[in-house]
Amino acid sequence: MVIATTKGLSRAHEVYADRGLRVRELRKAGKKVIGYICLYPPIEIITALDMVPFRVFGDMSEPITAADQVSTTVVCPFLRSIIDLGIKGKFNFLDGIVGAHTCDIGMTLLISWRDYVKDAPFTHLIDVPHTDHAPAVDYFEGQINSFKRHLEEFAGEKLTADKLKKACELHNKQRKLVRELYDLRKSDPPMLTSMENTEVLVALFSLPVDEGNELLEDVIREIKGRSIKPARKKARLLVWGPVFDNTSLYELIESADANVVIDDTCVGTRAFWADVKAPYDLHALAQRYLVDLKCPRTYRDTQHQETVRNYDKDLDSRFNYIKKAITDWHVNGAILQSVKYCDTHGYEVPNLRHYLDTLGIPSIYIEHDYSERSLAPIKTRVEAFVETLG
Amino acid sequence: MEYEASKLFFAGIDIGSTMSKVVVVDAGGKMLGYVVGQTGAEHRRRANKVMEDVLLKAGVPLDQVAYIISTGYGRVNVPFADRQVTELTCHAKGVASLFPDVRTAIDIGGQDAKVLKIKGGRLTDFLTNDKCAAGTGRFLEVAAETLGLGLNEMGQISLQSDTPVKINSLCTIFAQQEIISRLSEGQPLTDILAGVYIAVTTRVVKLARQLKVEPPVVFTGGVAKNAGMVKAMQTVLGTPVLVPEEPLITGALGAAILARDEAFKLVKDGRYTMEKKQLSEAYIEFTEKGR
Amino acid sequence: MSETATPAKTEQKRAINRLKSMYPLRNMVQQDYVTTLQASNEGKPTVWSMLNYWEGDLPLKAMGLNIVYPENYATLLAATGAAEPFLDASDSDGFPTHMCGYGRSTIGYAYRMMKENGGKIPPDAPLGGMAKPALLLGSGIICDARFKWFQALARYFDAPQWCLEMPMMATFEGTEPDLEEYQVKFLTKEIKDFIAFLEKLLQRKMDWAKLEELIVLATKIHETTYQISEARKAIPGPMHATDFWSSMPPALFFAGDMNVSLKLYQDMLAEVQERAKNGESGINYPERYRLIFAELPPWHSLKFFDSLAEKGWNFVFESFGYHNTRPLDLSKVSDPCEKLARFSRNFWFNIFPEAKKDGISNPVVETYLKIARGFKADGFFMHPLISCRAASCSLRTIQHFEQEKLDIPSLWVEGDIIDKRVFNPQEVLARAEAFEQTMDHYRKVRKSKGLDW
Repeated sequence: MVIATTKGLSRAHEVYADRGLRVRELRKAGKKVIGYICLYPPIEIITALDMVPFRVFGDMSEPITAADQVSTTVVCPFLRSIIDLGIKGKFNFLDGIVGAHTCDIGMTLLISWRDYVKDAPFTHLIDVPHTDHAPAVDYFEGQINSFKRHLEEFAGEKLTADKLKKACELHNKQRKLVRELYDLRKSDPPMLTSMENTEVLVALFSLPVDEGNELLEDVIREIKGRSIKPARKKARLLVWGPVFDNTSLYELIESADANVVIDDTCVGTRAFWADVKAPYDLHALAQRYLVDLKCPRTYRDTQHQETVRNYDKDLDSRFNYIKKAITDWHVNGAILQSVKYCDTHGYEVPNLRHYLDTLGIPSIYIEHDYSERSLAPIKTRVEAFVETLG
Repeated sequence: MEYEASKLFFAGIDIGSTMSKVVVVDAGGKMLGYVVGQTGAEHRRRANKVMEDVLLKAGVPLDQVAYIISTGYGRVNVPFADRQVTELTCHAKGVASLFPDVRTAIDIGGQDAKVLKIKGGRLTDFLTNDKCAAGTGRFLEVAAETLGLGLNEMGQISLQSDTPVKINSLCTIFAQQEIISRLSEGQPLTDILAGVYIAVTTRVVKLARQLKVEPPVVFTGGVAKNAGMVKAMQTVLGTPVLVPEEPLITGALGAAILARDEAFKLVKDGRYTMEKKQLSEAYIEFTEKGR
Repeated sequence: MSETATPAKTEQKRAINRLKSMYPLRNMVQQDYVTTLQASNEGKPTVWSMLNYWEGDLPLKAMGLNIVYPENYATLLAATGAAEPFLDASDSDGFPTHMCGYGRSTIGYAYRMMKENGGKIPPDAPLGGMAKPALLLGSGIICDARFKWFQALARYFDAPQWCLEMPMMATFEGTEPDLEEYQVKFLTKEIKDFIAFLEKLLQRKMDWAKLEELIVLATKIHETTYQISEARKAIPGPMHATDFWSSMPPALFFAGDMNVSLKLYQDMLAEVQERAKNGESGINYPERYRLIFAELPPWHSLKFFDSLAEKGWNFVFESFGYHNTRPLDLSKVSDPCEKLARFSRNFWFNIFPEAKKDGISNPVVETYLKIARGFKADGFFMHPLISCRAASCSLRTIQHFEQEKLDIPSLWVEGDIIDKRVFNPQEVLARAEAFEQTMDHYRKVRKSKGLDW
């Protein structure tokens, strides 16, 4: 066990700033590192086979120069950034990469990774069904099994039920700790900023699960012991949308007299809200990842086989976890953010805004192209939105 | 003119990308003077200059200005401002002070366009276009350049037509080409110009319709001074629009009124650091006289 | 779907040598709109369906349901220049503008119908419009928009919804030995559940005999259209892409009476084979270049292909997503739901064994390599669309592999399926000149490498 020289929030910041920091050390020590894109690859399997899962993100500050040989420009800029970095060799510290068919471009770009990125010897694409129907869960289990088999071959060892159970317990522990961390923003003012939260989460995605758990325990202790807290602000906001792996957007929002106290994003609650349940087998993984994890890419068939449909009921069934978050974290406004060209989230926006309306929660929708310079024009809009609250 | 010591004033300064505007109001929200100038590159110096100018014009000494709010693109560059507020909130406030029942405000600037929904005098929702020149004053400038006309001239000529030519191009540059094509096809200049105004208006109204356009509708921004533009706006919206006498300064006006509101709030909260007596007296005088 | 039906009467030579057999097939689709509208006016429930590669449509037809395809209707809106008010309506309700043109049109249509016209068809809707849906049948195959936008339609319609499933994957994972079995099991169960749902909705039982009959007909139709594709490999190409786009809906959507469409496709096969035998071309100019078009056509500007035909550009094949593959022999499968599962799945998965053999990870790339070889293509016309990611994002990698494996160059022409303002025909014609030289050059390169075209 390597003793880190920094701890708590400083350690989180260190790893956030240089994401490959720890995994490069681990690789030198003989560990294999498997990158994963998006939240659907079951990382418990990677941990259980004694490898380190590493979540792959793009880089908002890196101009895209190599992706055009592989893809058109009018696609998700986050995924374009990833393939761009891949082609440029920025992920050469990975021993492999696993992606999932969570969206059209996600699937296509993983396939392109296979063709255009030479570094990673192991690649796997898990197909994810579109609905949460019972036969879909079984099919997804089959896909997880296929991934497991392939990874076992690469690892040179078989996955046992016991190893998988232990891995699930470790990852569940992390999720529980993250939920504890989020609880610290229920107060007014919250005990930490959303920037600090993001740095911690991004660090978790860059560390092996046990080290991540240790980091969380340190961070929670540190924050609870704080005497200087963030300032109380007029607005307590929820941020919704696809991946935002950078503190910049949160900084922008918080500088506009707002505290971001909770989120529904995939560098956020989507990754940590649902646990894998007993008996911690492949079926349990399929259930957790397809059904319990809430992301707009899945058609959550809340009125399955019902012959009479109700719009408001459907919205409530789909979004009531957001209602709960709003209540528990005392939210008074929502910022819906998305990258340009994201169909998965784009189609949700009018319906989600309608739902938030019915809850009396004002909202604003902002789109960006996942680059640092695209944020400046958003500043005024966010400020004006906060000005309209209260 | 002489002012009693208890009288205090409030200023709003709007540093836009092309024009800077500043307004001074009294405790009742009545405008005492305004100045409009080119922003140029030096925001800070410009801010100082327009402030000096407006105080001279309004006959108000600086030490009687109790609170200053800056707004607009360059709002962070006004070191003497007490607070910054976005131009969206300020425009809404300014428009509502002139037209208390306003529900929708459409502002077309040199480089952007905004649509504001207002209820009970407060901003409730908004949309902006700051990416594309096609729905802004810039489009009109390009058209004017292309045709060798002045902006006002262009507006006047367009009024003569009731059969605007449809300009299809999404992009300002392509629209330029389209204008030239129409001219060479022999389409009358009046119709083409009417079409230009309709094109800009259509883009902005499309934005507005996302928020549902409810009357009364107020139209502001430098472009609102142009008769051709106003006509186009009324045609596309299908409703009359109200245009303030000085459509460029609604942001600064709103900022000044907000400055007044902020200052009084601070008095109530007991937090104001300036001569409390003077401010309280102004506040009392104002509240006794009513809005 | 293409331009309105007016056979040319002028003395000027028509650029495209249109197949006689294309017209009745095209008319079938237009007729279908009229028929379905009539049926809905008589109270028959109308289903809005997305292209689901026959997985859902055959059960719908077996239940005698009235089906309308918003995806197809959107191409009509584009072709007749009527799309703008619908696109604007979608934008005005807060849907992002980058979304699929078909989706925007449909959402805009639903908005205008329900919010502006009190539930009635908007008066400017061409061909009488689409009736209000009693069921929304989405599908996850090919792209996400196609089930997300149906989910979003709940904003306007309280109609029940179903999302059909179809796996999509890469070559390596798609050829795992145990995959087919549990995939088919999954799809069979889904189809069973879907049919049970239809029975519940309509309060009557599925006519299984009818479903079996339709599967047999579908197989025959697809065998015929497959043979047409094979016959199109002749030199010169006997059938131009525009004829295909006009005549494909009865095979892609099984629109109308399938007995009738089978006969019409058999007529088309005969005509194409006759042309191939006689060396008759799909264009009325000497074939100088054989082009493959990928992927979705510019519905709003199909006349553009005339200008290219005049230069001797023969579009000999196109749009893999609109073609069926050679149908499977399902005679040994007893369960009709399983038959359907296999029939539908075959569209995506048939190419996988070949892709695996060739070491190609992207199945679409393999499909187009096969097409390029089969049709002896001189060039690819790549048409990426600003609003369609699924049909555009693979085009770069296809371009790359066509160049690398077969020395076939591509012309890159941006556009959109619905919004014609993005497409610049003059600019394309200018570049076409230069591209001819590129195609000439690569002919030489291929010959030098031992390829025979």
